Amino acid sequence: MTDILLSIRNLDVEYITPGDPVCAVKNVSFDIARGEIFGLVGESGSGKSTVVQAILRTLPPPAIITGGEILLNGKDILSMSDREVKKFRWQEISIVMQSAMNALNPVIPIRKQISDVLYTHKGYSREKAHQRIKELFDLVDIHYDRMDSYPHELSGGMRQRIVLAIALALMPPLIIMDEPTTALDVIVEREILFKVLELRKELGFTILFITHDLNLLLEFTDRVGVMLKGELVESDEAVRINSGGQHPYTKKLIGALPSATGPRRKDLLPRPEQFKIGEKPLIEIHNLNKKFHLSGFIRPKMLHAVKDVSFNIYPGEIVSLVGESGSGKSTIARLIARLIPPTSGTIILDGIDIFKSEPRSASLNYRRKVQMVFQDPFGSLNSVHTVFHHLARPIIRHRLIPQAELYKYIIDMLETVGLSPGSLFADKFPHEMSGGERQRVAIARALSLQPELIVADEPTSMLDVSIRMHILQILANLRGEKNVAVLFITHDLASARYLADRIIVLKNGSQVEHGNSEELIQSPQHTYTKQLIAAASPGWLKKNLLKTNENRDSK
Amino acid sequence: MSTRLNDSILIRWLRGILTNKKALAGSFLVLSFIFIAFVGPFFTYDPNAFLDTPLSPPTFTHWFGTTGQGQDVLAQTISGARQTLLIGFCTGFFVVVIGALIGGISGYYGGRVDDILSMVINVFLVMPGLPLMVILASWLPPGPLTLMGVLVLTGWAWNARVIRSQMMALRGRDFVSAAIVSGERNIRIIVIEIMPRMLSLLASSFIGASIYAISAQVGLEFLGLGDVSTVTWGTNLYWASNDLALLTGSWWTFVPTGLSIAFVSFGLTMINFGIDEVTNPRLISERNWRKLLPKGKMNDGITPVVINHD
Repeated sequence: MTDILLSIRNLDVEYITPGDPVCAVKNVSFDIARGEIFGLVGESGSGKSTVVQAILRTLPPPAIITGGEILLNGKDILSMSDREVKKFRWQEISIVMQSAMNALNPVIPIRKQISDVLYTHKGYSREKAHQRIKELFDLVDIHYDRMDSYPHELSGGMRQRIVLAIALALMPPLIIMDEPTTALDVIVEREILFKVLELRKELGFTILFITHDLNLLLEFTDRVGVMLKGELVESDEAVRINSGGQHPYTKKLIGALPSATGPRRKDLLPRPEQFKIGEKPLIEIHNLNKKFHLSGFIRPKMLHAVKDVSFNIYPGEIVSLVGESGSGKSTIARLIARLIPPTSGTIILDGIDIFKSEPRSASLNYRRKVQMVFQDPFGSLNSVHTVFHHLARPIIRHRLIPQAELYKYIIDMLETVGLSPGSLFADKFPHEMSGGERQRVAIARALSLQPELIVADEPTSMLDVSIRMHILQILANLRGEKNVAVLFITHDLASARYLADRIIVLKNGSQVEHGNSEELIQSPQHTYTKQLIAAASPGWLKKNLLKTNENRDSK
Repeated sequence: MSTRLNDSILIRWLRGILTNKKALAGSFLVLSFIFIAFVGPFFTYDPNAFLDTPLSPPTFTHWFGTTGQGQDVLAQTISGARQTLLIGFCTGFFVVVIGALIGGISGYYGGRVDDILSMVINVFLVMPGLPLMVILASWLPPGPLTLMGVLVLTGWAWNARVIRSQMMALRGRDFVSAAIVSGERNIRIIVIEIMPRMLSLLASSFIGASIYAISAQVGLEFLGLGDVSTVTWGTNLYWASNDLALLTGSWWTFVPTGLSIAFVSFGLTMINFGIDEVTNPRLISERNWRKLLPKGKMNDGITPVVINHD
């Protein structure tokens, strides 16, 4: 490495508290060469975003930087005066943030938001700014008549491209991307990253890329740094990390996640085929429709969230609903859990049409048989009650177990989901547990009623990578031990493939494809499924980049 | 069977309040008034008896002087505290309970139920409270229960509105959905699952409503709309004004009562600030870290660098 653009030396960041200061980043050092893409990976709380904010010196109080140097082009950012820092932000380093909707001001047209940057830093006139904005829109492939749109009029992918355009506005040598695609769907994510790679080829800026998704980084970056609890535990060429890495934590991250393509790995989860599945359907869903009333009274505007969805689930089976956000998969979950009423359609449980027999709200019998696990374990447990309360209430309500045996039963349940010793966890409050532990409690709660169907709505998407597999493992074990059927809802094709017997692919509220997991992954029929699988396979970015280069050369 | 109360949100919250200076000072002030109101009348003169020369300034026998009727002002102030505080806190309690019940049900169920209850709340909100209070108080037979009824009737709607919107926000949370899926009854979800999450709101509503009740009550009685034969802070002021205390310059007949009202309200407000800080830790932490930073190292949008801060 000869030409170093950014060099971080022994960076320390602390949070001031009335007691001892809390160390957020400890002795972090790394270099980024000019033109390189450096990736920083770590779980939530590992300090990766803190490092980024320290570089820009935008850490909110009570954080202070307590040591080290951050050299950009040889100039130390930490010894700059406040005025210098303000000038250098955006001129020298810009940032693309996770949520484009939050980064853009919803009440100001996009053109104004970009010209603000140009005016403040460069003093551009109206015409000059207009010209520059046109160029920037060209760069990120958005037609410039969208210039006067407001952020909400654009799709998520377009918004993220606008944020990218703002980051490029002053052509800073370094662009920081802090989880820029986490809120986006896979296909859009790949498009955006592809665009970034293209632009870098053209304009030659340097990128510091932050994410919790190691697979993405390995494909996208030149070098990778792995952070754990505020320390940089490993930093190496992406290729070398990919082949295993040195630190045990890196190894754990690499081996943690299955992939949607390629041969099935044997070590991760038991093959779905080995389980017994009942003959008669447990639940039949026919032509389920849900329309949401958006606005308007006389001529109402409706959102048709679920369109004519029909499928069966057999006892002991795992069926996966796969789709992007807005595909209606969570609505289907809430319909089956009877949290919202359908617009039309039937659900038949054990041969009984439940909307006919229980039109207003679900009977206790239905509630006992169909349980739900929610996406966000921080929201689905009530912070004022103990774990014991969460598990005991449903059982008491349904009079499932005599009072005297309740405690023992709950301890058993907790140990079934891997929380042992159960007596220790029974007394805990939600805030005293990690995200993974909370999700286990949520599963135990669903399980405590001995249901026949568990609707799991993205149970792993809010969890850190290293614990996702454990949760999937628990679900896989349950169907084996307790013969519970699971409707597994996810946007991640890979976990659906490993866990489910059948996969149903949803798009815009309709079923586009339905089939056995392995078959569907190996030979998808519908174009949308093919796109999804392609976007989830490794090497996709580089393949496409090569293709466009060839096209360009042949022209 | 074990259920741990230690570390439950209520205990955490109480612990926070006990370590908060504002809340402590406020509680001390209010509790000492309550204590004096409770115990004091056993040790003072009869507040209604003619004891000495009317309108005599403070002396050693009558620390706060005497009124126009020759009654002991200290005894009147202390006895007055009894009824005024009792009605104040009871009214505060009922305002919050009724507000929580109607606002909570309205926000939880939504739809048709919310339409009807919201309409009722709105009607009570737009009714001019003060004139209504005056008319009702003068029309109904005077007495402490009347006063309470009037104050609750004119005061509950605002609380109901606030609690309704908080309920609507919590209603959509996953923990509520989870309780519904497990078959829990609606009323139990409202009372056991959601209400504890609103504890800080309920507590500060109670304190706010108590301040409102004390001042409104004193106001009505000062206008002569209470039962003038009882001894309260309001009637004390009523008699002081009737005896032309300002004209005669006998300040001791109204200053003790006025100061008591001010101190109680001040104490309650301090408790409210304290609750705010405990349940919204941002408020307090900002002040704390500002104190801990070395001089000249403020964060004005730029993170300070403090090397070797030990």
